[in-house]
Amino acid sequence: MSENVIIVMIGISTLLGATGLAALLWGVKTGQFDDKSKFIDAARFDNEEELRDAVMMEEKKKARQKKREEAKKKEYRPAD
Amino acid sequence: MPNVPCTHCHLEFDESVMITETHGDETLHFCCKGCQGVYHLLEEEGLGSFYDKLGDQKLQPALQKSDDLEKFDLEGFRNKYIKTTEEGLNEIYLIIEGIHCSACVWLNEKVLHKLDGVIEATINYTNNKARVVWDPDEVKLSKIIETIRSIGYNAYPYDPKLQEERAVKTRKEYYSRILVAVFGSMNIMWIAIAHYAGYFGGMEQRFKDILNVAEFILATPVLFYSGWIFFKGAYYGYKNKIVNMDTLVASGALSAYLYSIYAMVTQRGEVYFDSVAMIITFVLVGKYLEVLSKKQAVDTLDAIMGSTPTEVTVIQGDEKVLVGIENVQLGDLIELKPGEKVVIDGIVVSGEGSFDESSLTGESEPVYKAPGDNVLSGSICLDSVIRYEAIKDASSSLLHTIVSLLEESITKKPCIERLADTISGYFSTVILLIALLTFTGWWIWGGSFEEALIVGISVIVIACPCALGLATPMATLVGIGIAAKRNILFKEAGFLETMAKSDLLALDKTGTLTEGRPSVVTAKTFEGFDASLLHALLATSNHPVAKGVRTYLENNYSNLQPHSLEAIRSIQAKGIEAECEGKKLLGGNAAYLNEAGILCDEAAEHTLFVFAIDGKVVARFELSDTIREDAKTAIAAIKALGIRVVMLTGDHETSAQKVAEAVGIEEIHARLLPQEKAAMIDRFHEEGHTVVMAGDGINDTIALARSDIAIAMGSGADVAISVSDVVLLDEKMQSLYDAYRISRRTFRAVKENLGFSLLYNVVAVPLAMAGFVNPLVAALSMSLSSLIVVGNSMRIRIGSRLE
Repeated sequence: MSENVIIVMIGISTLLGATGLAALLWGVKTGQFDDKSKFIDAARFDNEEELRDAVMMEEKKKARQKKREEAKKKEYRPAD
Repeated sequence: MPNVPCTHCHLEFDESVMITETHGDETLHFCCKGCQGVYHLLEEEGLGSFYDKLGDQKLQPALQKSDDLEKFDLEGFRNKYIKTTEEGLNEIYLIIEGIHCSACVWLNEKVLHKLDGVIEATINYTNNKARVVWDPDEVKLSKIIETIRSIGYNAYPYDPKLQEERAVKTRKEYYSRILVAVFGSMNIMWIAIAHYAGYFGGMEQRFKDILNVAEFILATPVLFYSGWIFFKGAYYGYKNKIVNMDTLVASGALSAYLYSIYAMVTQRGEVYFDSVAMIITFVLVGKYLEVLSKKQAVDTLDAIMGSTPTEVTVIQGDEKVLVGIENVQLGDLIELKPGEKVVIDGIVVSGEGSFDESSLTGESEPVYKAPGDNVLSGSICLDSVIRYEAIKDASSSLLHTIVSLLEESITKKPCIERLADTISGYFSTVILLIALLTFTGWWIWGGSFEEALIVGISVIVIACPCALGLATPMATLVGIGIAAKRNILFKEAGFLETMAKSDLLALDKTGTLTEGRPSVVTAKTFEGFDASLLHALLATSNHPVAKGVRTYLENNYSNLQPHSLEAIRSIQAKGIEAECEGKKLLGGNAAYLNEAGILCDEAAEHTLFVFAIDGKVVARFELSDTIREDAKTAIAAIKALGIRVVMLTGDHETSAQKVAEAVGIEEIHARLLPQEKAAMIDRFHEEGHTVVMAGDGINDTIALARSDIAIAMGSGADVAISVSDVVLLDEKMQSLYDAYRISRRTFRAVKENLGFSLLYNVVAVPLAMAGFVNPLVAALSMSLSSLIVVGNSMRIRIGSRLE
């Protein structure tokens, strides 16, 4: 019985820690720690406006993608 | 009248000179048209919140527009800096000038995001480098640059090269590996404590099994993910038939790990998983410290080439055509405008003017050139339009030759073998041999194979070089910190050791031993002299002599009144004349005044500047390049350390001799071209010296790149700073001496650390051979020895504070 208690305790605590570790590794991988100053300073400008800005950039990208696809369609001619 | 801040840049000026605007009950002040323009632009675009974000931070006044925008759309520029991504988008890396705070970054990103066709724009807050991706069908690069300029910043391209990207990648990789290692070993530690308690209190096997399995799970990623670097190092070592520290770490950790699995499965003996994790973590941290302080990749060539035009104006018949520099033929007639950089060597055909050749010779005084004279690439045309004939093509011109020589020299940089590497090579071999002997000894005389294996492995585990791995990085890191506090920047930890070993110091003259600009040594004034008038006259010229005299006036005369001058005419390399309130002012060298019919004495020891009012000489100044104040004492101190001091200069013998005598250097090599300076360094190397070179100009860069340690002055040419290994921010010769002292002190600490680690092994290894070591002892001794090494490194700090 008491073995199980120990197994569960070690298991859960390690798992919790591992989750934190995974989050940190993900952060490193996606470059969130690359820019020290941005890490500290950019947080001050983080508001609704920035969110809208980000959405706008996303839309721009999408629009561009769409345009490209359309251009491709035009170029495409079915084989005779 | 009170000073008021400019609404845009927040710099304060007198109210009377500002542009004022009234909006309702609000009054706005602007220091210039540029600021005014930017302010209104931002308000219109709805970006007024920038000023709230800015707070009280002061900015540079906005730039007035310049008209070189079309160059960004030229073919040569495109090929050089713009990359095309797979999706047909264009990508460029820019350095943005004028960023002072995070609000500026915010503003730039914002404005770029608003621009149609810009798909991505990210600016790094730390180094102001930006990456911009845009759709070439919708917007041109010149428009993007214009937008950045319109809000008062400037941008120029740079080539990020793979080097920089690679450095960032390595650092990230190490960071991830360390995170895993630290997580693993910290968790193993607390499980291990339960284990250790079990030695004394007794523990049932079933609990032991649980702890063993938990440790096993945690140790596995630490060994194979974080420790991968050591396996790789050991493999390369094996391929090149060298035993290095990685071999010992890898074999020690791996054998302890394998044995622990065996012990776990058979339920006999103790597990060493904690030692495995600890070895990997400690040595990895040591390696990471080194990677962290690795010198940044050299963007040198970008710095030279980035400012070089990709096109030149060629005269074909009556037409002026822009031609890419690769396509210029011998004999083509090229036109130079003021401020342009020469990229192709040639001979002046028409026009005359002065050239700034400081990047080639290191001398700041402009050189006057008339038809028939040679124009060298790398020099800058200062003041007039000149046509010259190309006598070489772009690839064999001097500038290109210097760049390719530099490229070669950087890769050729000598590498001094580090003490720790040498020692760990021998050390690892010896330990592996001892472990093998112990194993065979115990097997033959002790009996069981299993016991022999345990003891053999414990020898490797206990000898694993935690302290050895930390010995150098810890000490050098502390050394770098102390040096930085004294305005000496070591770009890489290893340079401290190399510098401590050096026995020869090569010094450049201009800009290193001397200040690099002329200043007044003797001044004579006669009746009728008016300092304010002379000051006003000199303010119209940028010539170094004029600047030198102006500085002298500002320091020695208190109430200089502004005067407005008329009919200003400056004759290059000779002098300036102007009229003021009916008086005729004339200033320049003696020959110029004699030409104008004013008699004056031409005899002078140094550069002469004479000032005349209405045809009468009222003042004469002699100027020369002054020697840095502390040069003499510092050089004497450096010599006392047993270092040979040599002077290498591009200047002629007499002036070199004069400076050398003043500072106490006996060995001089004068009249050296950039390549010859480098050749001198090579000669010193052949003689078996470890060379430190200090210089500041582009003409020194090849020599700097070739020397073991290159030291640059903080105000030196950017290229010189980027190839250098050490930068003296406060430009004192005393700092050079300090750099020597700190590096020697640090190297002593490195030696002590290494000595201690070896001593520790001399005691611990025999114990392990005798079979007295269990996991607890191994863990304790390992952390203890590492702590001592860290403590000893901290002593450098105390030692340097006392002096």
